[in-house]
Amino acid sequence: MANKPKIKELLDESSCTHNQSRKVACNAPTPGATTGGCAFEGAQISLFPYADAAHLVHGPMTCLGSSWETRATGTSYPGRNLTQMGFTTDININDVVFSGEEKVAASIDYIMEHYKPEAVFVYATCVTAMIGDDIDLICKQAAEKHKVPMVPVHAPGFVGSKNLGSRLGGEAALSHLIGTREPEETTPFDINLIGEYNVTGDMWQYSPLLEELGIRILSTLSGDGRIAQIRTAHRAKLNVIVCAKSLVSLTRKMEERYGIPSISLSFYGRRDTSDGLRAIAKALGDDDLIAKTDQLIAREEADIAVKLKPYQSFFQGKKAVLNTGGNKTWSIASALQDLGIEVVATAVKKATEDDRAKARQTLGEKGVLMMNPGVEQAKLIDETGADLLLAGGRSLYTAIKKGIAFADVNQEKKKSYGGYEGLLNLAEDLKNALQNPVFKNVSRRAPWEK
Amino acid sequence: MGEIARKKYKPLQVNPFKLSQPMGATLAFLGVDRCMPLMHGGQGCTSFTKVFFTRHFCEPIAIQTSAVTDAIAVLDGGDYSIVESVKNITKKISPSLIGLHTTGMPETKGDDVRGVAAKIDFPLVTVNTPDYEGGLESGWALTCKALIEQLINPARETDDNKLVLLPHVSLQPIEVEKIKEFIEEFGFNVWALPDLSRSLDGHLGEKQAALSSGGISVEEIRVLSDAGLVISVGDSMQACGNALREKNPEMRHHHFSHLHGLEAADSLAELLLAETGFSGPPIPVARWRQRLQDAMLDSHFSLGQSRFLVAAEPDQIAGICQSLYDAGGRVTVAISTVDSPQLKKIKAEKILVGDLEDAEQRAEDYDVIVGNFHCEAIAHRHHKGLVLRGFPNWEQVGNPLKNDILYEGGAYFLFECANAATVARDEGRRHPEK
Repeated sequence: MANKPKIKELLDESSCTHNQSRKVACNAPTPGATTGGCAFEGAQISLFPYADAAHLVHGPMTCLGSSWETRATGTSYPGRNLTQMGFTTDININDVVFSGEEKVAASIDYIMEHYKPEAVFVYATCVTAMIGDDIDLICKQAAEKHKVPMVPVHAPGFVGSKNLGSRLGGEAALSHLIGTREPEETTPFDINLIGEYNVTGDMWQYSPLLEELGIRILSTLSGDGRIAQIRTAHRAKLNVIVCAKSLVSLTRKMEERYGIPSISLSFYGRRDTSDGLRAIAKALGDDDLIAKTDQLIAREEADIAVKLKPYQSFFQGKKAVLNTGGNKTWSIASALQDLGIEVVATAVKKATEDDRAKARQTLGEKGVLMMNPGVEQAKLIDETGADLLLAGGRSLYTAIKKGIAFADVNQEKKKSYGGYEGLLNLAEDLKNALQNPVFKNVSRRAPWEK
Repeated sequence: MGEIARKKYKPLQVNPFKLSQPMGATLAFLGVDRCMPLMHGGQGCTSFTKVFFTRHFCEPIAIQTSAVTDAIAVLDGGDYSIVESVKNITKKISPSLIGLHTTGMPETKGDDVRGVAAKIDFPLVTVNTPDYEGGLESGWALTCKALIEQLINPARETDDNKLVLLPHVSLQPIEVEKIKEFIEEFGFNVWALPDLSRSLDGHLGEKQAALSSGGISVEEIRVLSDAGLVISVGDSMQACGNALREKNPEMRHHHFSHLHGLEAADSLAELLLAETGFSGPPIPVARWRQRLQDAMLDSHFSLGQSRFLVAAEPDQIAGICQSLYDAGGRVTVAISTVDSPQLKKIKAEKILVGDLEDAEQRAEDYDVIVGNFHCEAIAHRHHKGLVLRGFPNWEQVGNPLKNDILYEGGAYFLFECANAATVARDEGRRHPEK
């Protein structure tokens, strides 16, 4: 039990700004009124992208059966992409009564024999945590036997939310992988990307730019990641947290343990990408690098401006209402503005204090921050003459009633909107939405309706 | 009827396509009008289930969770979580029914959900569906049985024009509707339990409902016991037919293992003719039968030179294999998610209970795959034809309207399979290295 992460400690994260104003740390879902994933899902999100590792879920069928092959996290790993495979002990009633430990050990042996991964992550789930299967011991023994890291992940769903699970995933990497190997060489510009999962290849939109600047991605947690690299993460000069508040505990501990400072940024839209690149260069503290970065940003911004030119006249004068949550409340708004779309309102009901401040800054004084978007958005569409509603599926009906274009911001993305080039994908998708007559046509009155 | 391998030879599932019991239960409750399925367990089970079905149906999915946390799991026997859940759900909306189904965690600690539900003053149906037992089919069937046992009033009289249809879980919404219409052609009033054809059939409503938007109503369920006939489809549903007869022994129960293919459709038509005393079939029924006959002949050339892998829930495999077999398609491998009495009836050369790793290891034995979304990667890696069927299908839109059954659906299904086999053969000619 000694090396299991302390949940209380993780929830009371001193690096979280809201913990200074709130007495109780965020957790405790309300029965019958809860949406959102569990801790296991959070751990899965943060660790599954390691394509050269096997991810063995020790639990009954719901945990993995409904969740494997769901995230489009790109990888350049030349071997079999184990992220898109599912491994589970699929425990039965016998295992519940007599323990499933033997099954875990045998499963690891099977995986090592047939797929030869660089590591195996073993995930506890509610049932197997409750019956007390000792995955720590099994992993220790299996690591000795197979000579590759075996990482127990203690994030059973019932300990809390997805966010907490991502933290627990980070804890597992910190206790069992980071610092277990030395890199072959180091450079003054070695960074770790933390919380970038390379969904739809987001990371590849900006990683070539980093490479061009001579900034080396030493390791990632965990987009396009490799086990061998995350084991050397302790030698990086800087931790870069990409759009992921959940992993601040990890970076704080890495700072305490290895003296690695960290910065938090996003690569969504032109301004964020430029600011992000500049922030990395500045944090690495090299004047030449900063100068080089400024040149690169100037070049890239000019380049994307040319590519976006054909869209400019199309988006000019177009107004959008945005109804989403978290950092999307401002990051999407900022990207829309980059395209020349005016964001007249954004929902901040499901946003932190930080996010609200950023939303205000992004939208300016005139913009409306909606505290009750369900009610407000329809009215705002009328008042502002908005052309586009970006929201979750629930709001589709509002758009249809108003006869304006709709884009689902929560839908599983199929292509990347990240970095400079991602703006082109966003522009193309929004142009298609705005040009599509379906939203008007579908609401045509039936001949038998009065 | 080939060689059956029921026993697992490995300690784990690799690339599983088996789905859990509580997910089947959720889906069954969604076939009841204005129902709120309440999954008793950690919040993740519910969240995964919601996303899973939302993506398959392209429709919002109503479901809530009792959100049991680690501390609550130790301290509570289910009372707190369930009572609080009902309180919080009914604060905002008024469902006609709350469908309480369990997951592995509360079952492991032994929550007495039925006892708790009995103390709550709200219409609840409870069902025990631990996810360490059974699968999607059994979760659906157990829930249907619970709806019958806990809601239906006993009766003695029967209305011979009234018929209850008990469809298995793998029948898509339009298929349920097509079976209902087929039977209605013979003059019956048909009620399906559960009825996804009125809830998850992908219709544009007035606004997004917070509850299941359609399905059979609780009032309709309560009085199903005066139906003269009950028809169960799929071996997983046979017990439900029996449970319904417990409510009224006068009711007559007819069971069909599946309704795929010419012979099964003929059997249903024959039964309905006998029941009604009609001398001949309704015109559209006869016409579709001729179309299916023609479809079998049109598709036999392509199907006859193709080998198939079918991976699905047992009741669906049985039907699909029969359809293919009738027109000369050789099912060399059939893989079932779970064990079932169906397995010994399946028209395939080799039948096993397994996962998609088993499918991949036998890639040389087939040309075309009939299976769910997860089969796509295999089809891609090994250059196989693919016909997407079963849960989930996250790759395509239009799933609720895919119809494979009876004369009409059978014709479409054979065409789709024959065309997929032709494409696969052409691909094979272009890439002979495979």
